Amino acid sequence: MEAKGARELFEGVIDAGLCASCGGCAGGCPYLLPYRGRIVLMDNCLLSDGQCYQYCPRTFTDMEAVSQKVLGVPFSEDEFGIVREIFLARSTDAEIHEKGQDGGAVTALLSVALAEGIIDGVVETKMDDNKIPHGFIARNREELLGCTGVSYEPSPVLEALNSLPQESAEKLGIVGLPCHVASVSKMKTYPPKNRMNIDNVKLVIGLFCGWEFSGGFRQFLEENFDLPQVDKFDIPHHPAHTFDVYTKSDKKSVELEDIGQYISEACSYCWDMTAEFADISVGSGRAKFKGWNTVVVRTKAGAELMDIARKKGALETQPIPIESIDNLKRASLNKKKKALSSIIAKTGDKKNLLYLGISQDLANKLLV
Amino acid sequence: MTEKILTKDPLNLIITGVGGQGNVMISLTVGSALVREGYVVTVGETYGVSQRGGPVMSHVRISKETQYSPLILEGQADIVLGMEPVETLRMLGKYGNPNVITMFNPRPIYSVDVIGGEAEYPDLDKLIKTIKELSAKTWVVNATEEAEKMGKPIVANTILIGALVGSGFLPLDRKSMEPVLRERFPKAFELNMKAFDRGMELIGQ
Amino acid sequence: MPDIAIDAPGTSQLFMGNEAIARGALEAGIGFATAYPGTPSSEILGSLAPVAKKMGIYAEWSVNEIVATEAAAGASLAGVRAITAMKQLGVNVASDFLSILVMSGLGKGGLVLVSCDDPGAISSDNEEDARNLAKSLGMPLLEPGNFQEAKDMTKWLFDLSEEIDSICMLRSVTRIAHSRGNVKLGELPQKEHKAYFDQIHDLRDVKPTKFMPHPVPSHHAALLKKLEKARERFESSPFNWYVGPDKADLLIITCGSCWFYSRDVVKELKLEDRVGILKLGTLWPLPEKFVEKHLNKSQKILFVEEVDPFLERSVMEMAASLPPDSPRPTFYGKRSGHLNAYGEMDQDVLIKVIASMTGLTYQPRDIEYAKKAEELAKNYVPERSIAFCPGCPHRATFWSIKNTLKLDGRNGFVVGDIGCYGLALRPTGFYQSRSHYCMGSGTGVANGLGKLGQHGFNQPVLAVCGDSTFYHAVIPALINGVHNQSNFILIILDNGGTAMTGFQPHPGSELNAMGEPAKFISMEDLCRSMGAHVEICDPFDLKNTTATLLEMMAKDEGAKVVVMRRQCELIRGRKEKPPYKVHVDPDECIGEACGCDRLCTRVFHCPGLIWDKESGKSRIDEVICTGCGVCADICPQGAIVKEAA
Repeated sequence: MEAKGARELFEGVIDAGLCASCGGCAGGCPYLLPYRGRIVLMDNCLLSDGQCYQYCPRTFTDMEAVSQKVLGVPFSEDEFGIVREIFLARSTDAEIHEKGQDGGAVTALLSVALAEGIIDGVVETKMDDNKIPHGFIARNREELLGCTGVSYEPSPVLEALNSLPQESAEKLGIVGLPCHVASVSKMKTYPPKNRMNIDNVKLVIGLFCGWEFSGGFRQFLEENFDLPQVDKFDIPHHPAHTFDVYTKSDKKSVELEDIGQYISEACSYCWDMTAEFADISVGSGRAKFKGWNTVVVRTKAGAELMDIARKKGALETQPIPIESIDNLKRASLNKKKKALSSIIAKTGDKKNLLYLGISQDLANKLLV
Repeated sequence: MTEKILTKDPLNLIITGVGGQGNVMISLTVGSALVREGYVVTVGETYGVSQRGGPVMSHVRISKETQYSPLILEGQADIVLGMEPVETLRMLGKYGNPNVITMFNPRPIYSVDVIGGEAEYPDLDKLIKTIKELSAKTWVVNATEEAEKMGKPIVANTILIGALVGSGFLPLDRKSMEPVLRERFPKAFELNMKAFDRGMELIGQ
Repeated sequence: MPDIAIDAPGTSQLFMGNEAIARGALEAGIGFATAYPGTPSSEILGSLAPVAKKMGIYAEWSVNEIVATEAAAGASLAGVRAITAMKQLGVNVASDFLSILVMSGLGKGGLVLVSCDDPGAISSDNEEDARNLAKSLGMPLLEPGNFQEAKDMTKWLFDLSEEIDSICMLRSVTRIAHSRGNVKLGELPQKEHKAYFDQIHDLRDVKPTKFMPHPVPSHHAALLKKLEKARERFESSPFNWYVGPDKADLLIITCGSCWFYSRDVVKELKLEDRVGILKLGTLWPLPEKFVEKHLNKSQKILFVEEVDPFLERSVMEMAASLPPDSPRPTFYGKRSGHLNAYGEMDQDVLIKVIASMTGLTYQPRDIEYAKKAEELAKNYVPERSIAFCPGCPHRATFWSIKNTLKLDGRNGFVVGDIGCYGLALRPTGFYQSRSHYCMGSGTGVANGLGKLGQHGFNQPVLAVCGDSTFYHAVIPALINGVHNQSNFILIILDNGGTAMTGFQPHPGSELNAMGEPAKFISMEDLCRSMGAHVEICDPFDLKNTTATLLEMMAKDEGAKVVVMRRQCELIRGRKEKPPYKVHVDPDECIGEACGCDRLCTRVFHCPGLIWDKESGKSRIDEVICTGCGVCADICPQGAIVKEAA
């Protein structure tokens, strides 16, 4: 593990255009705060050995070590990581289904986990009145429902985890994008000091992700929409060409090519589309299965929760067609290839893969 | 009138400390007492912005006849009275000489540079040893400690005045100081007189 | 402070130079005194105000130096002797009025201007020699060489002022102003003032009327005549003297505090029979005949004076006009580079210069001791920088400003101004202040920056000022900003007094200099009446302050105002007990570990919080801490605990 701190984090990640604003570095100290899509350095921290650097998903990540610790198995070179089970699912609860982005599967699973006492709270993203995403801890159904819906902007959700007091004993679930999941996975692999015991995190649900908007997108939203009136954002799948904004009374669409400049540069370096280190990864059912989620179970903990959810009738499931799995593989592989190319273009050195602690063989295979 | 006489003309006394500690109070009280006794006294103060936690020094020149410059020349201090140990050493560094008499309160006040980590405060024992090394005679007067025992940290200055007068190096004694203290502290005279006496006691004369 | 109105003529008192000047004014029978606080001049009005009622005079802290001078001139117009005092920078402010006053003439009351200069800029932002203004504007100039002269010169200047019917200037410096020495007191007059403006109203009189400068050339000619009259008086003044041999190896020409240094150095080097000292007290117009008499005392003349080679130039100017067979000594001083033309006169340098000029080697002290003492001091004496006092509201304000600018992320910055908060350019203010000029200039400069939007400028601009600075100079600049819709936020740091100079009152106070009720002028009402958006915050409420500033920064709607209101701790602490008892829980403190890196001591920098290297924890210094509790709000671990006292 490299010994580096806030200065190196800014030089190597944030100022270098790699930062996904996941908040993995923030909230654990007074120096790094997330604010309106940025990570702000409030004062100079002189430590040369900081947890901010250590838990950043864009600093060197030993994929093998993380996989062993978090998933209990060697690092998978498959297209989208370890797959214990894969199927389509949706919530059987009408309200959850309605409020959910696609099938409401995440909220349904979390509801079950809370009800069964597997967890006491969930660290997830909640948007404020202006639809700015923040980290939040939901502890009941009502609060869970307050966190539904996708924000297409970076969410510093892990700040809420990092700022928990050392004595906190709540069992926690976490919902995040692949970058959040990678950060939490590093925390599990290299346990934090002077913070809550990371073993309190019992469940990690990851969301599929292609890219996010950032930078001037916030201003674009504020100038063009009455955000407190907005109910939901959506980018309907393939062929995806619009960004849709729903209020109670209407829907506005913006052509993606008109807001393409807001796609985050940092996302081009991201290689994980499906949150490969999560217990359960959840994505959209896509155009073919509107109103459903694609669910990938990866770990024992994930499988146990799924069983309970099935038994309780909280989820309705159906098998996922091979075609869909193939599409998923293709999409995930493309993201990996694109990420590798971007990284090598940035470093100018095939051997310098920045944060990607993968074998040169795998890299070569992917670059073919 | 005191029976004390001026042993050197001019007699050069430096009072030093940190801004806000009450340097000026000591120099003014001692200076006024000396003028009352018929001496020609110049008191040079360096304060102003120093009040905000910077170093302060008062140079007191005592003469039978001549109004001397408000600043003492390098190496010409006869007595150094320090309210803070680092400041005491700072004065000895510039104004000390093999014959200097030093009297100081050993209670450190940490500068913001030290607190912030940009500078280091020396080990106190080493500091005291260094001060003794540079002085012909040294008295360590625990003025803050004694003042806290009396329940009023603010009288540390008066204790130091007592120690200074008690040392016998100034042409002043208890009798000459009493009316000055009475004038200076109309409401807290008893307390300050007690503090003054304690200072004299600590010097043992 | 000693009672400068003590009725004890003939006795010797220990007065500081400023008190001596004030006493001199009382002995001259003044009825009126004004000033604006400015180190090192503040004690002049500061010692007059408490005795004003007893002595039957009016004493005022005016809003700035030009109003102070104008008000004092008003008293003179009505036949009342008046004094006005300021630091060197104040004379610049008053100079617009002075430049016409010398043309227009006085009333029957003598008028004396005192400038206390600050060589070395111990408490200023420039080193300026106000004597130059006396010369360029046309005011007879005296400079005291000791504390007795400070009193005697002031008293005499009122007589001169009335004799020549013009304002006169006394110039002092820090070492005289703030140092104390023996002053033999004179009588205090029993004065009954009868103020009346004598209008000299004669329609048939075609001669120039009083109190007007027109026609200017003839008034200018009249001024030159007045100055000649003053020069005549100076030729026989007791404030000028010579000590030393008839023929000297070196002649020192000196004035002011440098008289002390010159005399002491000559004594120390035992050169009394080889070096002569010509000490001048009446500096301008130069008493040329008197000076000429002494020019032949030596072939070498060294000028020793504070700040500019003023006397040096005057004497050289005069010497150049003497007939060719006059003595032609060589002049040394600031022009020749023997002494620095910058920085305060350093006695320790002067003694070496004079020693070398007289062929002596000077050893201040035993060489071995000197080496040892200097080495030990270098190793064991850490830096002691000035900082905001413990409990100072400015520390909290600039903490919030720092955080706000960081969160905003557009590289916003603070343009600074003069006062205790001027320290914000240092670590104690987290280096927030990025520019520093004169009183009110922060707002003025912000005006310009706030109109650069059309040239692509988008950085948030914050101007800061104190409550006293606001009334002193910021109001016109703010009017300009509101009227021209310049985008900046003016942050008024209202701590309830003119703190840096000694807590003098101002128009935002309810009492005046003499402790009487005065009309309070609300700064927020004034700003609102201009049409500015005004918010009021408590700097100790860090969260609310940061949120307010962020909100205001987000909108570009012309000049806005935020008043940060909380009383200066030094004032509050005198009247009340500490609000909290604060301590650090060593079990919760994680010190230098990741998660803190000792934010409280390393960054927040309050003198009341110290770092215990051995235990690796922070600790409260109970003698220094004032119990404000702000550190408890910034500790990330909640290890600093504040309990209501």
